[in-house]
Amino acid sequence: MYVNVVTAAALGIADGDWTWLESQHGKLRCRIRTMEGVEPNTVWTWNAIGKIPGAWGLRTDAPEATEGFLLNHLIAEHLPGNVGEGTRRMMNSDPITGQAAWFDLRVKLTKCAPGETGAWPRFDPLPAAAVERPAVLRWPQWANPQVARSSAT
Amino acid sequence: MKLGLLIDLDTCVGCHACATACKEWNGASAISGPLSDYDPYGADPSGVWFNRVRHYEVGTYPDSKTINYPMSCLHCADAACVTVCPTGASYKRDDGIVLVDQDKCIGCNLCAWACPYGARELDESTGCMKKCTLCVDRIYDERLPVAERQPACVLACPTHARHFGDYDDPDSAVSRMTAERGGFRLLEELGYAPVNRYLPPRAPPVVLPESDPIVAEPATSASALMRLVQLARGALSR
Repeated sequence: MYVNVVTAAALGIADGDWTWLESQHGKLRCRIRTMEGVEPNTVWTWNAIGKIPGAWGLRTDAPEATEGFLLNHLIAEHLPGNVGEGTRRMMNSDPITGQAAWFDLRVKLTKCAPGETGAWPRFDPLPAAAVERPAVLRWPQWANPQVARSSAT
Repeated sequence: MKLGLLIDLDTCVGCHACATACKEWNGASAISGPLSDYDPYGADPSGVWFNRVRHYEVGTYPDSKTINYPMSCLHCADAACVTVCPTGASYKRDDGIVLVDQDKCIGCNLCAWACPYGARELDESTGCMKKCTLCVDRIYDERLPVAERQPACVLACPTHARHFGDYDDPDSAVSRMTAERGGFRLLEELGYAPVNRYLPPRAPPVVLPESDPIVAEPATSASALMRLVQLARGALSR
């Protein structure tokens, strides 16, 4: 999670610290990286870098599972209001594209207590996590059909 | 002939498409593959790359800027990596491309130590040195459409920040852009005469203080309008 240098200092959070990020919908634990080029009242991150252990065929100790996090845990599926029987709720996404509402989410950032490390929430590994994976990957063994080559002799 | 790349640091957005396209093409290439990956599914994945993109921040908010800086072999005219090679595996072709003969390389690492740019990486699984080939198996391939006879990184770049051409030809696109926009060589003072050039990034955008009239009383003020015109002119002249 990228945070402005001055904002992080004001919150007592250092580069690389584990933090709790909370919205009205949920919370997650992630590491922050301080940065100059981000607006002081904004935090940002890459999309979908967190994975359930075993996803993508990765081992359970892959950083995608241990340190990667997913912002979706903070984003409600519906807009607030109109709660009650017989009412229709509005989807919390762009009405044209259907994309999730990433850019208007208010969050609170706090430093984790000592010992609170690792991405959270965590999930049970997928069955694929148990599959044996090669320690070294070499393309000729895993020839990529997507690469179009001319039939040079 | 001096074939090389011209990389525009102004338009590069640091997306790594060049690096992955390079790995996709060259990792399965008969002359340069494999580009092995170590622990690819585990806790600390790493591997061999011809091209890596670094990111740097300069300045402090709000006058800061991120510089994305892709680096691959610069195909030096005076290539120290070729000079130090004890087996003759590293060689420089007449067209300027520096290559490694994988059959002659003994993986001694001397060339990697000699290279001041960190452009060479040893493939631990084959014991041979790997480096950018300028996609020599693309650029001369007459079976490919003419427009595709370029390195994979150049074709992949979504912002057209990468250009390929002959620096010996003063009329080539890379020569002209270098002349027009102040293209520069990396660490030129070391004397290896790198062929690849970089176009410099723009100056960071002007951010006005809160007290500036254009911020304090926008829209209606005539002076603010003049200020806008000045800003626009300034931006266009950069």
